[in-house]
Amino acid sequence: MSTTTAPEFLIETRGTTREFGAYVVGIAHCRATGTPGFGLGDGTLRIGLDGAPSQVHRGAVLAIAADCRAGFLTGGDDGKLATTTDATTILGDYGNRWVEHVAAHPAGVRAAACGKMLHVLDGAGTPRKSLAHPSTVSGVDIDAKGKRLVASHYNGASMWFFAAKEDKPRVLEWKGSHGMVLFHPDGDHVVSAMQENTLHGWRLSDGQHMRMSGYPAKTKSMAFTAKGRWLATAGAESVVLLPFFGGGPMGKPPQELAGGDAVICTQIATHPDHEVVAAGFADGLVLVAEIASGKVLPIAPPGRGGISALAWHPKGHALAFGTEAGHAAVVDFSGR
Amino acid sequence: MSDDQIPVTVLTGYLGAGKTTLLNRILSENHGRKFAVVINEFGELGVDNDLVVDADEEVFEMNNGCICCTVRGDLIRIIGGLMKRKGRFDGIIVETTGLADPAPVAQTFFADDEVKRAAKLDSVVTVVDAKNLPARLADTREAEEQIAFADLIILNKMDLVDEQGAREIEGRIRAINPWAQLIRSTKSDVPIASVLGREAFNLEKIVERVPDFLSGEDNHTHDTQILSCSFQAASPLDPERFNAWISQVLAVKGQDLLRTKGILAYANDDRVFAFQAVHMLADGDFIRPWKAGEERLSRIVFIGRDLNRPWLRRGFEACQADAPKTNYEAELARWGAPA
Repeated sequence: MSTTTAPEFLIETRGTTREFGAYVVGIAHCRATGTPGFGLGDGTLRIGLDGAPSQVHRGAVLAIAADCRAGFLTGGDDGKLATTTDATTILGDYGNRWVEHVAAHPAGVRAAACGKMLHVLDGAGTPRKSLAHPSTVSGVDIDAKGKRLVASHYNGASMWFFAAKEDKPRVLEWKGSHGMVLFHPDGDHVVSAMQENTLHGWRLSDGQHMRMSGYPAKTKSMAFTAKGRWLATAGAESVVLLPFFGGGPMGKPPQELAGGDAVICTQIATHPDHEVVAAGFADGLVLVAEIASGKVLPIAPPGRGGISALAWHPKGHALAFGTEAGHAAVVDFSGR
Repeated sequence: MSDDQIPVTVLTGYLGAGKTTLLNRILSENHGRKFAVVINEFGELGVDNDLVVDADEEVFEMNNGCICCTVRGDLIRIIGGLMKRKGRFDGIIVETTGLADPAPVAQTFFADDEVKRAAKLDSVVTVVDAKNLPARLADTREAEEQIAFADLIILNKMDLVDEQGAREIEGRIRAINPWAQLIRSTKSDVPIASVLGREAFNLEKIVERVPDFLSGEDNHTHDTQILSCSFQAASPLDPERFNAWISQVLAVKGQDLLRTKGILAYANDDRVFAFQAVHMLADGDFIRPWKAGEERLSRIVFIGRDLNRPWLRRGFEACQADAPKTNYEAELARWGAPA
């Protein structure tokens, strides 16, 4: 016979919680200071849990990323692209269309998806390209070297070179509506999450396709582990890990972590150094799991709204998260 | 259905019918409610509202094995985005272009799980121009579709037609869609309460708006492609028969069937069963007990193209529990494979 005790959640001893009162759309950490920035549904950005709200967009922040060197790159439903450190600078104003996706790379590449266009700017804020797509861009990523961009859309994704003189995309075709898109750290794989609760992948070197189906919900969050061995994905009632080694993911079974409750995993963040994954669920549960051992560390209990944002500190010693109901927290793992 | 779901009203109608006038009236009236408005890029006039979203009307096919299941990809994204500012508006109004097929808009609210959780389709409101409708019906397919899909039809610009003309137009509309409510107006001056909060896709409301059934009458007029067929059955239906038959009809004919609605009396069951479908996407449930003294009639309306009226009537009638089994089997077999 076993006795059940309530799990201890790390947030109780090592967490700091704040109530922001607006949907936490995304979290990024400043590349210069490591401070987390919280992009909110009321159009404000909070730099640090106790930072004063700064009204960077008129409606809602729709996307946030760590900007090239420092600060935060945000897109809003006011059609603007902004960068904020101490002050906010508007980098682009694209009219009535929402800026739904942003990405930035330390090499000095910034991208903002707005309707069918992907606007590409350099580190100085100079517009470099406006790339047209056959339908609305629904996901953006920049490769590990900062040389290529990929934009997902209906019936596939388009890959572009930042430095190309003539802009002609390599079109990765696959019928259907594609959402979030991601480069593998090795630069040879691109994976997208589709409308029909599946993932689709392309191996660029030989044009092979990968299909991963069986998710009960749409995958809205996914990330590769530090060295790219695993793709950790949301959209199931557990963390689903797809192996990108030993011939995988084709023909290799996925691994599942932290399943059991019939609640959908909504957010994933992979640790910057180790094969460790943080996961947030639709009921507000947050946990951290080690892939090799399957060991789970409970971080936050359910109850404060579905997890809508989750991010590791770039040094890996702290985890920040936020919920649809407007709660945000940082949990610090560092030795005391 | 949770109260958390934001109600969505879809506004359709031809360019110049008075759609934007209606939209601006809804927005400017002092009702204390705030709306997010999704407009199309070819909007006629300015829309005066805090929260206006430009949409591209991107129609996508869902790869779910259902050939006619198209959705509005832009709406999936827009509703997802609007949920990030939840609490700051009470409803969403989606305006479509006059050239839009309303089916993908409606199907978006049934086919995408996240949209379903966040929002519910309240109704499809179609504004038609009383004077120009006959011409529109003659030269476009969309004008008919918009009428066929509507829960509320606003017959606008009534000052431009006489009473006889108005009656003729109403007859044309009724032939296409007997279930919709019709309101006459001159400058889209209809009570806002009649436009919003209709819950037209709530199964429980279907029974409240049962039209006068003209069973046996052919509603097909000479120049319309879309027609409606209404049938009633006096004897209670066998639920298994009806399910198997309607599933087969929708699977084979779903592409041509725009809307199907029914109120059914099942044998050995004291509850009213309500049924609705948008193309192949169907939904049905028991909604309440039959009232004492209420006539337990089963009634169904099919709105669509190239409908084989005798087949539908005989099939529906064969679903009655007391109909001969051989009849039923023969009717079911008709729909065995697409012709």
